[in-house]
Amino acid sequence: MEKTLQVLNDLVRDGVLSRYAIGGAMGATFYAEPVLTFDLDIFVILPRTGSGLLTLEPLYDALRARGYTEEGECVNIEGIPVQFLPAHNDLLVEALTEAREVFYDQTPTRVMRTEHLVAIALQTGPDKDRERVRLLREQAALDREYLANVLTRHRLAGK
Amino acid sequence: MNKLDPEIARLITAKEQRRHKLAALPFAEKVRLVVKLQQMAAPVLRARGRPVAVWRLDDLKPVLR
Repeated sequence: MEKTLQVLNDLVRDGVLSRYAIGGAMGATFYAEPVLTFDLDIFVILPRTGSGLLTLEPLYDALRARGYTEEGECVNIEGIPVQFLPAHNDLLVEALTEAREVFYDQTPTRVMRTEHLVAIALQTGPDKDRERVRLLREQAALDREYLANVLTRHRLAGK
Repeated sequence: MNKLDPEIARLITAKEQRRHKLAALPFAEKVRLVVKLQQMAAPVLRARGRPVAVWRLDDLKPVLR
């Protein structure tokens, strides 16, 4: 996975991505026990196109140029199917902006804060994500005050 | 409420402790464990008709101890 993350870091360096952060099941795995997943959810802030629209196409073009091909909704980067998810609402943009800088072995990367993973799972809502909330609440060190603030600001407090 | 059999209570406690121990592992170690989980789950999922691919890690070392 280190090579995969190095490719993502290269994309940021080259301006293809403004910023990225690991979320989803692998984000939760950073803080809690490992959970089964078959793709790596990478949330991204994309540079706006001239028309102001969000599109993954320049990112996919850059990956194709590096020899990485699409497999369904994912792109296989160094043996790992990566699903790129554009930050399409305020909560996701905040989660990306405030993601933690960490190291995977020798490679720097970014992982969303636990509190944002909880908030995103609550916002998304399917059973699998609810299970993620339970796991993070049970095993991860949550900043309760920070979480309450995030949930209130994004109108998730009652969920 | 029924009182738990001491042996069952011991097993539940041990399981909880193991889960917290797993949660405390370094990220790279956890990723290797996720791949182990994929290797275990993939044949079952494929048999159910769900095409899944086990990650090809460049640094897959034995981690279960």
